[in-house]
Amino acid sequence: MATTEVQAPEAPGDGALQRQALRLRQLDTRARVRAVVVVVLLAFCLFPMPSILSLYYVGAMTQVTVYAIVALGLGVLVGRVGLVSLGQAAVLAMGAWVAARVLFATSLPYPLVLLIAGLVTMVLGTLVGLPALRMRGLYLALITLMLAGAISVVLATTNFPNGGGGFLGYNGNAVHTPPIRRPGIANSDPAFLRYSIVVAILMFLFVVWHLRTRPGRAWAAIRQSEASAVAAGINIVRYKLWAFALASFVTGVAGGLLAGADRYLYSIDFQTQDSITLLAVVLMGGIYSIWGAVIAALLLQLLPQLLNSWGVSPYWLTVLFGVGVLQVLTTAPAGIVDQMPRDLARLGRLLARPFRQAHPTGPAGGAQ
Amino acid sequence: MPSWQNFQPFLVIGLALGGVYALSGVGMVVLYRATGVLNLSFGAVGAMGALIAWQAINSWGLPQGIAWLICVAFAAVLTTLYGLVFGAALAKRDPVVKAVATLGLALILLGVMDLLWTTSGGASRSLTLPTDSSGFQISSLTVDWTQVISLGLGVALTFFTAIFLRVTRLGTAMRAMANDREITAMLGVPVTRVLAAAWFGCGVLAGVAGLLLADLVALDATTLTFLVISSLAAALIGQLRSIAVTFIAAIVIGVVDSMITPINSITNYRDMTPFVLAVIALLVLSGRSTVSLERGGI
Repeated sequence: MATTEVQAPEAPGDGALQRQALRLRQLDTRARVRAVVVVVLLAFCLFPMPSILSLYYVGAMTQVTVYAIVALGLGVLVGRVGLVSLGQAAVLAMGAWVAARVLFATSLPYPLVLLIAGLVTMVLGTLVGLPALRMRGLYLALITLMLAGAISVVLATTNFPNGGGGFLGYNGNAVHTPPIRRPGIANSDPAFLRYSIVVAILMFLFVVWHLRTRPGRAWAAIRQSEASAVAAGINIVRYKLWAFALASFVTGVAGGLLAGADRYLYSIDFQTQDSITLLAVVLMGGIYSIWGAVIAALLLQLLPQLLNSWGVSPYWLTVLFGVGVLQVLTTAPAGIVDQMPRDLARLGRLLARPFRQAHPTGPAGGAQ
Repeated sequence: MPSWQNFQPFLVIGLALGGVYALSGVGMVVLYRATGVLNLSFGAVGAMGALIAWQAINSWGLPQGIAWLICVAFAAVLTTLYGLVFGAALAKRDPVVKAVATLGLALILLGVMDLLWTTSGGASRSLTLPTDSSGFQISSLTVDWTQVISLGLGVALTFFTAIFLRVTRLGTAMRAMANDREITAMLGVPVTRVLAAAWFGCGVLAGVAGLLLADLVALDATTLTFLVISSLAAALIGQLRSIAVTFIAAIVIGVVDSMITPINSITNYRDMTPFVLAVIALLVLSGRSTVSLERGGI
């Protein structure tokens, strides 16, 4: 971050090298500190947190975990590749449907069901991506919006599987329908939260691995300019489809978790509006950092529960998300994940100003 | 298969809805051509206008005519304000950014509507226009004047917009802006004023469409906000370019959606009509090129 080069006139040779080394070491320490913080946070989320929280917030955090994966997939599409999708909630619904159907039909182990849900959703999502490949930004966003609308109409009719027979697995007459199965090791709510966090960590690592290797570089090139990506020998059709496949896969896995978290799925819970809200929070969280996905999920799933318990109407959130979208698009493209530390640093500098006046030769602050 | 008799009332409903979809679709196309913004908040603005009109009639005791005027004025002023503030701020951005920004406005309005006009406890509202109660008969079929007005407005608006764009100075300026904004500005067209006029016109249409749909469908924030998708589908079939095709597509969407209702086997899927038609249109009409020269993303 601290890239301000202080030009020292007397020592251009050795001194510069030393400073370079010092800066590298600082970066190294910073990365190490960050890694430690992340590990400690994750450990806290995995071990004490599910036991401390009330069941109400355990449920909310499970939803946060699920939606962090969804937001991650959408963030990759929008932020890394530049493909705006307005239909991710429908993709999540597909994943949940497939997982529920498989869970009722078979006694396969849960991880395998998650994998199946991810793979089936991946195929469906890539099919959506196939025609979308020749569309530019706006048209792609609109076709995904239209497909999401169509899927929600279909789901409203077919409903989610509830243990009935046939291909759809829906029994409209049943009074007592069985809940969707959970993994044997994670039957209680806190245990399922831990299970979800583990799956989410795996999904995050999977995505980060993509971003750090060849596909990530190809996506960055495509986002900058498709023409120069082609000129650089990147097969843009393949990598765009890859992005759709990856986003749909992780969203499908998230759908599988959602099926186990909710235990009963209703088509009325999956509306076209959700896809739009999802894009809004992903933009607000920050699309250029994977942590933006976590913030997006907290905004989408934890904040309503907090407001609810404080007696504030959750509709204020819809207003907030709308304002957030406008703000992100006009002034803060990198979202909260980028804005918050900068604002805090600015606040810190502001607070430190009275003290710093005693040392007028102090460091010149951070970036810029 | 139901007989033709069963279809007749749905044909009338479908034509009326199609007329309003055409009204909205044409408004969206003209705005998109003139400003480069696909206004996805069209439905939300109209919905809020209709709810304000409902409030004006039922709590403030204003006469209906004034309430409708308030609705249209609200929609027009809000849309123009948005256009002048955010339309200008995002003028140089990608079309998808501009469209997503209007979704931001739609979310704000949705939230405000849910806060001010709660639907908790099953509260439902309705807005009935006086033209509902009178009508005429065509053989055995009753047609009320609201339905006639809806279709009539759709037809008239499409017709007059086409003429307006071709004949008037402002219309010519809008068409010029659609082609190239920079050159238009250089030729001395007052760009900001033309943009404001386009936004204002779009807002008026949003208000009128909101009133009519509140009467024809339901006075419900979410329903009205997302009904815009039907008009959007029509506009997409017109490639966000052709007013005539948008009009025809809107009528077809309205009629097909409505006519499927009595067919039991697929009646549940009737609301897919706009989506399916729009997806097919997008697939068939979208360009063949696989490489775009624009920078993608937000």
